[in-house]
Amino acid sequence: MKDRSLRLIIICLLGLLPIAMYVHLMSGQIELSYSSYWKAIFDFNNKDTYQVLIREFRIPRMMMALVAGAGLSLAGMLMQTLFKNPLAGPYVLGINSGASLLIAVSMMTGIQLFQSNFGLIGTALIGAMGAGFLMMFVAQRLKSQISLLLVGLMFGSFTAALVSMIESKAGAESLKSFTMWSMGSLQQVTFEQLPIILTLFILSIASVFLLVKPLNVLVLGEKSASMLGIHIQRTRFLILGITALLAGLITAFCGPIAFVGMAIPNLTRMLFRTSNHAALIWGNVLIGGLFLLGIDSIIQLLEGQLSIPLNAFTSLIGAPFVVFLLMRKIK
Amino acid sequence: MIQFEHIAIGYSDVLLRSAFIELEAGKVYALIGRNGIGKSTLLQSLTGIVPLKEGTIRLLNDSLESLSRLELVKRIAVVESRFEGLEYLKVKDYIALGRTPHTDAFGNLKQQDLAVIHEIAGALGILALMDKFTDQISDGERQLCAVARAFVQETPMIILDEPTAFLDYLNRKKLLTILVELARDQQKCILLSTHDLELCIQEKVPMLLASSGKLSLHEQLTLDEVLNEMSKY
Repeated sequence: MKDRSLRLIIICLLGLLPIAMYVHLMSGQIELSYSSYWKAIFDFNNKDTYQVLIREFRIPRMMMALVAGAGLSLAGMLMQTLFKNPLAGPYVLGINSGASLLIAVSMMTGIQLFQSNFGLIGTALIGAMGAGFLMMFVAQRLKSQISLLLVGLMFGSFTAALVSMIESKAGAESLKSFTMWSMGSLQQVTFEQLPIILTLFILSIASVFLLVKPLNVLVLGEKSASMLGIHIQRTRFLILGITALLAGLITAFCGPIAFVGMAIPNLTRMLFRTSNHAALIWGNVLIGGLFLLGIDSIIQLLEGQLSIPLNAFTSLIGAPFVVFLLMRKIK
Repeated sequence: MIQFEHIAIGYSDVLLRSAFIELEAGKVYALIGRNGIGKSTLLQSLTGIVPLKEGTIRLLNDSLESLSRLELVKRIAVVESRFEGLEYLKVKDYIALGRTPHTDAFGNLKQQDLAVIHEIAGALGILALMDKFTDQISDGERQLCAVARAFVQETPMIILDEPTAFLDYLNRKKLLTILVELARDQQKCILLSTHDLELCIQEKVPMLLASSGKLSLHEQLTLDEVLNEMSKY
């Protein structure tokens, strides 16, 4: 595909973004006026129920749909390039499981790694990072692409077993909050937490753009990349670090969200038909953000009749997509 | 161009030793030897992956150990044995990756980079493939692309690991002829590992023969002589 038409697709996707954000804000059950939105952001009155609803629920939820969709897709793209495996992703490779395990420990046993307000991010980050490096260590000793995914699956089962052991000992209140968290939700974030989440998110995207050159060479594999002068250890560390930051941040606040990180990078490549990561980064951020905004808009619209957990919905779409990719790619 | 000064290579045990051997610019050398004799290890020692056990390899008068990774990749380009092509990676983008040691931190291609790519692709006769995806061309075409990638790296020395494996006879012959011509025209030193004895003899390619733990250089050998040497394994 020509660079010009790629640029056109990116501009179209950018144009769709405000529309999707608008639709998401409007698809809640209670109808709200534009002026309430305006006031909730710029002239907030905490006595006005509508304004509180907007400020504490609608806006954070919309922003988190965008951040989670974009962030997980970007993390997935990084994993797929690093592992040279189109089926890799933060969820499949157990990055989420690592974060989940430490979060389960900190939510249900009272053993806290960090005391601060953002303790949960730190905890998830360490879990995600640990799982990432474990996978890297294992990947270097495996020959086949499928083995790595099976190891990820085993790691997931192993951590799930540990989590259920913790659950069986947990008190009712903490068990409930952990169960709610594990269903995946975009509603846990407060308006005040948004600035730090957005800052970390934007910093991560910016650092991925700095990695465009090594990422483009890594598609040839680590050995060839090294013989083209790419510093492999450093690149690997940076990629895993950014992935863990994105996946950890999102897992901490939204719970595990399955398949987005695996499916969207593939969808982006199919649509863009390029291996140039400068374009793929844009694509993943935009398509991932649009996808989760869309999914969550549907969840909001159905809320009256049917309440679907986010993680269930993404799995419902993601799992058949994995089967499709398996049939298409791995012969 | 490159000198092997009494080297010994191998992992825990020494696989191959050599006396003083010098490879010159403008020529293609074929690294010949039976499976498991240490050909791949030698190629990996040349790229700094496996350290030498004894001796020194000098490339343009500097020993390999004294070169940084970036200096090394500006002097030696390597083509691994089989490139199977990648979905959505275009030939021109693949070849352009050879410019990696010369591009800025973002990998942007300048006018000069594009000119080099165009020139090499023209010399190899693959300009028509540039906009195709690397997984949608034939093995022979892909091998030429891999050679192009190594040439655009603009290194004085090029190493190819079994470039003719997986190719049919005519493509093998074509590839070897092109390499001999390019080495002569661009004054490069090309070392390729191969099992195509007859072809190398036919094209009068000098041989770096690995047999019974020794590495030796032969300007011309007959098939019988080569087979005789190799059977001493």
